[in-house]
Amino acid sequence: MRRFFISLLTVAVATSLACSKPKTPGPASTGPQPFPASAIPRPADVPVPPPPIPPEPVITSGGDITSGSADSRSIAEINKNSPLKPAFFAYDSDTLDDSARKSLNENAQVLKSNATWIITIEGHCDERGTAEYNLALADRRALAAKSYLVSLGIGADRLKTVSYGKEFPFDTGHDEDSWLQNRRAHFTLTAK
Amino acid sequence: MLGRLSISIVAFGSVALAFSGPTLSGEDVTSSAIQDPAPRQQTDIVVTMLNAGSNTKVGIPDFLTGGGSPALQAAAKAMADVLEYDLNFEREFVVVSRAASASIPAAATPEALPFQRWAEIGADYVLLGTVREAGDRMPVDVRMVSVKGATAGQSAGFTYDGCAVANPRYCAHFIADDLHEKIRKVQGVARTRLAFTSDRDATQMPGRVPGAGNQGKELYISDYDGFNQQRLTANRNLNLMPKWGPDPRTLAYTSYVTGFQEIYITQLDGRPPLRPAGGNSDIHNMLPAVSPDGSKVAFASTRSTNNGHWDIWVVDLVGKNFQNLTPNTPNSTESAPTWSPSGLQLAFTSDRTGSNQIWVMNADGTGARKISAESRADRPSWSPLNYIAYTAETSAGHDIAVFDITTSVTKILTDGIGSNEGPAVAPNGRHVVFATSRWGNNQIAIVDYPDRGQIRRITQTGANMYPSWSPSPRPSGAK
Repeated sequence: MRRFFISLLTVAVATSLACSKPKTPGPASTGPQPFPASAIPRPADVPVPPPPIPPEPVITSGGDITSGSADSRSIAEINKNSPLKPAFFAYDSDTLDDSARKSLNENAQVLKSNATWIITIEGHCDERGTAEYNLALADRRALAAKSYLVSLGIGADRLKTVSYGKEFPFDTGHDEDSWLQNRRAHFTLTAK
Repeated sequence: MLGRLSISIVAFGSVALAFSGPTLSGEDVTSSAIQDPAPRQQTDIVVTMLNAGSNTKVGIPDFLTGGGSPALQAAAKAMADVLEYDLNFEREFVVVSRAASASIPAAATPEALPFQRWAEIGADYVLLGTVREAGDRMPVDVRMVSVKGATAGQSAGFTYDGCAVANPRYCAHFIADDLHEKIRKVQGVARTRLAFTSDRDATQMPGRVPGAGNQGKELYISDYDGFNQQRLTANRNLNLMPKWGPDPRTLAYTSYVTGFQEIYITQLDGRPPLRPAGGNSDIHNMLPAVSPDGSKVAFASTRSTNNGHWDIWVVDLVGKNFQNLTPNTPNSTESAPTWSPSGLQLAFTSDRTGSNQIWVMNADGTGARKISAESRADRPSWSPLNYIAYTAETSAGHDIAVFDITTSVTKILTDGIGSNEGPAVAPNGRHVVFATSRWGNNQIAIVDYPDRGQIRRITQTGANMYPSWSPSPRPSGAK
């Protein structure tokens, strides 16, 4: 059964790799004509090959083969309804307050119960402030969350960080209620 | 100056300068192919135009085709319209609106122009274009004809043999740059390009929860006037903050294709981009700026710290010789580097005083000094006209500020409408491209330096951000 699963997994990985090559871009919709071919040769479509999409585990009838993880759902399913809670921040701050630490304490328990999980901590900002500044600020938020989790005994090698600045607002509104949602360290499951 | 003119401007004759370019590619025009005309006598019209203020008024009638194919006629129409835009853009000439002059009868020769009609609507000169069809080539003769006073009927002209029927816009851009250089001694930007980020083709990012805010943003390149917008990247991820290098084939940018922010440099030649900083999920790099000599790249990186604070680093393009330029401020963030035109200095941002401000330092990291005094500031761009443009925080959002290096005087360049961010200076320093929310979604727009001028909208579709202005291809044909 396990061997069967692994072979399925291999097929899944190969398929996802094969499918991950993006299409050649068409001309932009608003451009009346493309560049002359000899002016700018067709640039590389991708700077580097995109990372392989994490394979989704094959759910078998047993449903218990995801050893080391208490959660048998797929990564995508877990991320859609995640037990990992965001940590929110004050305006222009990368300091963890009591509420943020409470969320991180709970996340640490989830990570201890799912000892194979590797997660990515995304730093986010609200729309105020410049994009460049927010990329640095959001990086510090992600790292603050990571450092605290490490202090709680979670292995640093299980915690990746990335800063999305204000590129990915969770709430697209333009008031404090929205901004509060967007000033966060957000947790996504990357591998299990 | 006049000595140079005496060989580059021909008057009263049908023999004009013959250029091998422009060509279809737009980038293959070589100045070595210029044929020297026989020495000609300086004319009154040339002296007059050179000595005029910056308000010489020029009318642009439809280019003459003498019949010709529909493609040729369409190309002729396009060229006159593009020249109107290009000459208006640089503001060295005052262009009599082509709409206003549309009713004036066409003339096949300079002598046949209805001088009086043109003078009545305010023209000093008429830019009379004539195109011929020669296979896929389209030689263009352009003649500045005086229509006022004692010089009425005199003309100075140029012929552009290399124009192609298939690319009239580029031909007109080339002519505009050439006229600006020959007549006004101004380096135009009509052949430059813009790079920027847009979500217009937003596609779901792989590995992220579907929904708004999880869609990729790609890089785009367009002509300086917003035409020919074309997508450069197609990796369904975040691609941000492109910045041209010292030549129009080098573009550096920040991308998340590996799952974290990293810097890349493409030569726009189809090969994979360089990835000189070699980051990973712990070492993040962003905001690259290639040095004016093309030998190295400055960027912001967390490689020196484990507390999420950024420093300005430089590394050569093959990833050797890393150097931290800001090692003495480990608890502050230094970011957004931009080189001075000489490559001897860098401007950057630092929050070491408690708020993000613009700083300048020598290229070896010494001599740092603060130049901004805003509540916050970001994204400096160093102009060849000896100023630094940057984003200044205002009570309502942001505006583009310019710091005059000679006088240390700072002025706000934009008009406070919407939020205006992320300036990038044109290669001639006379214009600044930026992102603005004044029309709703962020769009790319251009403002003139130093007097703002008319703010021109460049993009229409989606949200567009992080513009950068390419260097000029090369001098437009003069020696």
